[in-house]
Amino acid sequence: MKDPYEVLGVSRTASDSEIKSAYRELVKKYHPDNYANNPLADLASEKMKEINEAYDAITKSRGSGSGGYQSSQSGGYQGYGGSGYAQVRSYINANQLDAAESLLNTAANRDAEWYYLKGQIAYRRGWLDEARQHYQTACAMVPNNYEYQNALRTVQGGYSPYRQTNYQNNGMDTACDICNTLLCLNCLCGGCR
Amino acid sequence: MFGYVRPRQDLLEERDLAAYRAAYCGLCRALGKGYGFAARFLVNYDMTFLYLLRASAAEAAPAGPCWCPARVCGKKTCTLDPGGYETVAACTVVLCVEKLRDDIRDKGFFKGLPARFLNLVFRGAYRRAARRLPAFAALASEQLRALAALEAAESPSIDAVSDAFARIVAGCAGDLEDPALRRPMEQILYQTGRFLYLADALDDLKEDWEKGAYNPLRYRFAVTEGVLSPEDQAYLTQLTDSSVNLAGAALNLLPGRSHHALLENIIYLGLPAVFAAVRAGKFRARAPLFSHRRREREAGTREEAPAKPGNQKKLK
Repeated sequence: MKDPYEVLGVSRTASDSEIKSAYRELVKKYHPDNYANNPLADLASEKMKEINEAYDAITKSRGSGSGGYQSSQSGGYQGYGGSGYAQVRSYINANQLDAAESLLNTAANRDAEWYYLKGQIAYRRGWLDEARQHYQTACAMVPNNYEYQNALRTVQGGYSPYRQTNYQNNGMDTACDICNTLLCLNCLCGGCR
Repeated sequence: MFGYVRPRQDLLEERDLAAYRAAYCGLCRALGKGYGFAARFLVNYDMTFLYLLRASAAEAAPAGPCWCPARVCGKKTCTLDPGGYETVAACTVVLCVEKLRDDIRDKGFFKGLPARFLNLVFRGAYRRAARRLPAFAALASEQLRALAALEAAESPSIDAVSDAFARIVAGCAGDLEDPALRRPMEQILYQTGRFLYLADALDDLKEDWEKGAYNPLRYRFAVTEGVLSPEDQAYLTQLTDSSVNLAGAALNLLPGRSHHALLENIIYLGLPAVFAAVRAGKFRARAPLFSHRRREREAGTREEAPAKPGNQKKLK
């Protein structure tokens, strides 16, 4: 196992509050929500696990309570369609994009979920123009779906959950953006625990 | 290559700027040592970024004085990392020669004469580089042919055409064995390749429009007199911003030990600034081949002589 202090990027003489602060910064950086539908989500998840283990190891060795981040992964969204879509989602999550696309293309009914999943496949391939068009179609068909709106917002390139520094100041376009921001703030303030 | 992948120097710390200068000069030196004097002219910002990215997994290599052909008397500070530069220099030669071959295929006999001449000059260098990286040379050749076919078919998909080019750029990390290192690096390079292709397409749009040449933006958007509407420009900017975000997310996952601030500067600040300049029509994409001094000044690698007391310009 790696040196837990090295993982958190703090010295051995760091105070408890410094350690907690470093830990929170890293959680914010590698939070699973930041890598939703990202082809590197598995690597981010491993990194998150490593950070949690390091924090637990340090807090245990210092005799303080753990209080580490508990993953709030909901296991994906359920109930949009039949088992076909669930299978497509599992292929996408496993980065088997050709298999996911082949299965998706056999669907007779092209509903909002179909376009959303098509957009996810394109996004993971890096085909961002195509992904955006599919997400837009999905959002137009079912306007109030948070998952679709969030995917569209990500591909629109405005707010980036990855940026640790406020390099760019983009304006918010829609009321939906404001809602999403409030939801993110809620998560960061511990509302997702 | 294109020269679009560069840092925002005004927002770099002195230490990082010095590291960038040394990496640029180190690549020039490695090209000269590995592929002959002429290959030094292939040095560019894009491949300097590739070196910094590949070198980020290890501790920063030492820097030392080295001879610079652009400076008759005097030396420059170069990163001394022969092992690190080996693959990057080979990628540089392969990409530049494949681009020349592509130009030969595209242009007529007379217009293609400069490319034919340069292809002859770099023939031996290409052979050595392709021996060093056979899989990458094959990938670059195959994808450029695929790109040429898409262009000949006047493909309206900016994703398809930029994908062919981005795959070549991502191939620069194809030799890495550790997936924890290779996968984020391929993602960064893929998204950077996409950015390069789209920025170049926008930069060339007016010229291509006047010549009637293929440009994917002409077929994807409604173009009037070689200019995109402000809405389409904003849309394209959002697409490139998405690429920047994905590259940045991948950068966070690299087990980086060095150059992290410099790489963040290039991705988060340099790329958007370059695209904004291209949008405004203020970016000079292609420096003339032999304007090494000017390119050095742009890269901040040329140390200007201190101004004489009576000859100082007023700072605005």
